[in-house]
Amino acid sequence: MTLANSAATGVPLVEMRGISKYFGGIAALRGVDFSVRAGEVVALLGDNGAGKSTLIKTLSGAQPPDEGEIRISGTPVHLDSPKAAKAAGIETVYQDLALCENLDVVANLFLGRELKRGPLGPFFSFFDGGRMMNEARTLLDRLNIEIPSLRTAVRHLSGGQRQSIAIAKAVYSQARLIIMDEPTAALGVVQTEKVLRLVRDLAAAGIAVVYISHIMEDVFKVADRMVVLKNGRRVGERLTAETDRDEIVRMMITGVDERAGAGAAV
Amino acid sequence: MRPSSESSHRHPSVVVWQLVDKLGAIAVLVLILIGMSIFYADFVTVDNLLTIGVQATTRAILAIGVTLVIVSGGIDLSVGTGMSLCMVVMGVFAINWEQSMWLAGAMAIVTGAGIGLVNGSLIAFAGLPPFIATLGMLGIAQGIALMLSEGYSMYGFPAEFGFVAAGTAVGIPLPLIILAVIALLMAYVFKQTRLGRYSYAIGGNEEGARRAGIPVRGIKIAIYVTAGALVGAASIVLASRINSAHPGIGFGYELDAIAAAVIGGASLQGGRGTVGGAIIGALIMATIRFGLNVLGMSPFVQQIVIGAILIAAVYLDIVRTRQEVRLSRLRAH
Ligand SMILES: Nc1ncnc2c1ncn2[C@@H]1O[C@H](COP(=O)(O)OP(=O)(O)OP(=O)(O)O)[C@@H](O)[C@H]1O
Ligand SMILES: [Mg+2]
Repeated sequence: MTLANSAATGVPLVEMRGISKYFGGIAALRGVDFSVRAGEVVALLGDNGAGKSTLIKTLSGAQPPDEGEIRISGTPVHLDSPKAAKAAGIETVYQDLALCENLDVVANLFLGRELKRGPLGPFFSFFDGGRMMNEARTLLDRLNIEIPSLRTAVRHLSGGQRQSIAIAKAVYSQARLIIMDEPTAALGVVQTEKVLRLVRDLAAAGIAVVYISHIMEDVFKVADRMVVLKNGRRVGERLTAETDRDEIVRMMITGVDERAGAGAAV
Repeated sequence: MRPSSESSHRHPSVVVWQLVDKLGAIAVLVLILIGMSIFYADFVTVDNLLTIGVQATTRAILAIGVTLVIVSGGIDLSVGTGMSLCMVVMGVFAINWEQSMWLAGAMAIVTGAGIGLVNGSLIAFAGLPPFIATLGMLGIAQGIALMLSEGYSMYGFPAEFGFVAAGTAVGIPLPLIILAVIALLMAYVFKQTRLGRYSYAIGGNEEGARRAGIPVRGIKIAIYVTAGALVGAASIVLASRINSAHPGIGFGYELDAIAAAVIGGASLQGGRGTVGGAIIGALIMATIRFGLNVLGMSPFVQQIVIGAILIAAVYLDIVRTRQEVRLSRLRAH
């Protein structure tokens, strides 16, 4: 689809090395390496429980790793909170949506970065509802997301609409890297196509995307590169243009990288 | 998108719920007043209503603070005995140490905020469940209040201090004006500040709020400190009314305050509640208490009634929340 991107060289935008994460006695991640370049869509693949969500949570600051190093543009960083990750330009659309169901669409889009107006600055000011509403409208229009009333509590919206809002929220923050954990799992065909096109648009604009999905068809449409995990280990990676569905599925199931030397994986 | 589902939030049942939400508490208040005037033709008089309003003031101020806490998904059981402690501190400054009433009042608010700071820190940093942290604080505040006062009522506030509870301005009792000022200020906090907005966000989805970059711990502390400062304010009004500081008077007010908050639409599951609701809830509680007095019901029975009301209000909230979760799931899939 876009070999041009994968041919990009230089320092990766984000580089993770030897990432391990333990939950009690369970090792959810064991020495995983992972990197993304600007403008590249990398799919993170693996069976249920492979460690995909856990890996991206170490990158989004939600669950810092127990071992390993993360570099952004070559500089080591400590992403020990979502705030730190956001400051580093990393935004995440979580599998378990992170919206506040009791708040309306606008409040959710601007959560944590509300616009305010008022003569006395921080001492006495009001939310700038009108401006937030307009910017929300513009953003959702740009992303082709249709939501009739932005004053509706998210609780009243459909799964697809919630997902779209979560993505729009990430886009709005002008991230350098957007992580999407199964963004189309709850969506119908039309909405899925929209999200996939949106992901390509983001990449074309130079944003790096980490894309997690179990839907192979989507992955092959959208990704430049694929990284396969199994049982918390990295099995291997492929350029989309140089592999096919069968090979990727075999890697996910067997946990063996057929092109590597014998015994290289698991 | 499926256009057919877009209008689902306007489904009749939802509209009914929204109406009940907005008007339910007011309707209940009106019904109680109508009911009481059936027993006593002259129950609803300006005098009686003003009395109820004045009696509701202390509970309303407490209920506003408790509502902020409940909105964030927490609970504060320490507001009652905390109010006793604030009052006793005021007595120590104004009576024992003969300091100015202004300083004593300020110290009451500082004490309340201090209690909130401890509550908030225990919850946000030590990770204690709000129920336990504030239950412990209920005991601690009670104990300190008894120690400082040596278990006795403290008399001897300056005579002018009575003006806070008994005075009027342009014919309106001062407590009601104080309540109105606090209500306006807190409505601003709830609706137009990050503290308020983030309280709703944390109550709606704490992990989501954290992921959105909200400093959840700091906000939680600010929430309990705010509620505590309001406890201090309430103690000033009450001390002026009883013209003394009483170390045992606050215990039990937490029941009224929480009941008022929940009757006013705050949900113990978090994410919901308003200043207006808290005030209406407090008015309902005060009306019921006033009515029970008029009917000559003993204070012991009143306790039972208030407890039963709290249980009923929370049960209704649970029913409502279940209903909403079910509807929300239906929409999401
Ligand atoms: N908070 C946690 N506590 C304990 N174990 C956890 C926790 N989070 C993840 N795990 C475990 O870590 C492993 C990896 O889970 P993870 O959610 O990363 O898988 P996944 O690849 O995202 O799976 P799925 O495709 O089902 O979303 C699993 O065995 C899971 O049970
Ligand atoms: Mg997952």
